[in-house]
Amino acid sequence: MAVQESADNLPLAEIFRAANDLVAAGLVRDWALGGALAAIYYVEPFSTYDADIFFIPIDESLAAGIPAIYGRLQARGWQVEGEHLLVRGFPVQFLAAIGVTEEAVREAERIDYEGVSAKIFRAEHVIAIAASVGRTKDKARIEQLFQQADLDKEYLQNILHRHKLKLPIL
Amino acid sequence: MKEKMRLKLAREPFAEKIRKVAQLIRLAKNFPRRQRELRISRSAR
Repeated sequence: MAVQESADNLPLAEIFRAANDLVAAGLVRDWALGGALAAIYYVEPFSTYDADIFFIPIDESLAAGIPAIYGRLQARGWQVEGEHLLVRGFPVQFLAAIGVTEEAVREAERIDYEGVSAKIFRAEHVIAIAASVGRTKDKARIEQLFQQADLDKEYLQNILHRHKLKLPIL
Repeated sequence: MKEKMRLKLAREPFAEKIRKVAQLIRLAKNFPRRQRELRISRSAR
């Protein structure tokens, strides 16, 4: 039986359970945690605004099956607020994976979080995606990952090369 | 020493780090309110 998360913690196990349910329901092919929370898997904790769940859509259309996904999550009690879904007040974004993010989902690391099976972007993909976005906070994230994560530099160079990405000057 | 401490935090179990993130989010939400309350109570003196 799954461990009940305390009300003052982030509802990450509930988010992972819901994402697994979307796969079981045939609404998404695969998914993984990306963004700041994926970075935190490898570095010291820092404050973040939301959770980013990247998914590989079943539906190849522009809508990527989003209406059905939102409907399923709303049936679990999640609320829609702008571009986010809220679970116990914590914003979650479901983002259709494409290009380097799709590869990041496919090659994500499998973890067990509080008894729930989940996938999380590899540190090298977190770096490559941050390099592709290139905001100030992305540069800071790259620097932090280089300082604190155990990186496979060859794997990182391979990702950067295949997706024609360059690391920013830190 | 500070770098050592940061690395130690980075090596903590993910669930523990998530608990710390939740604390940081709570602090970030509450801190501006505390600042406002402080300003109000000072101006009331």
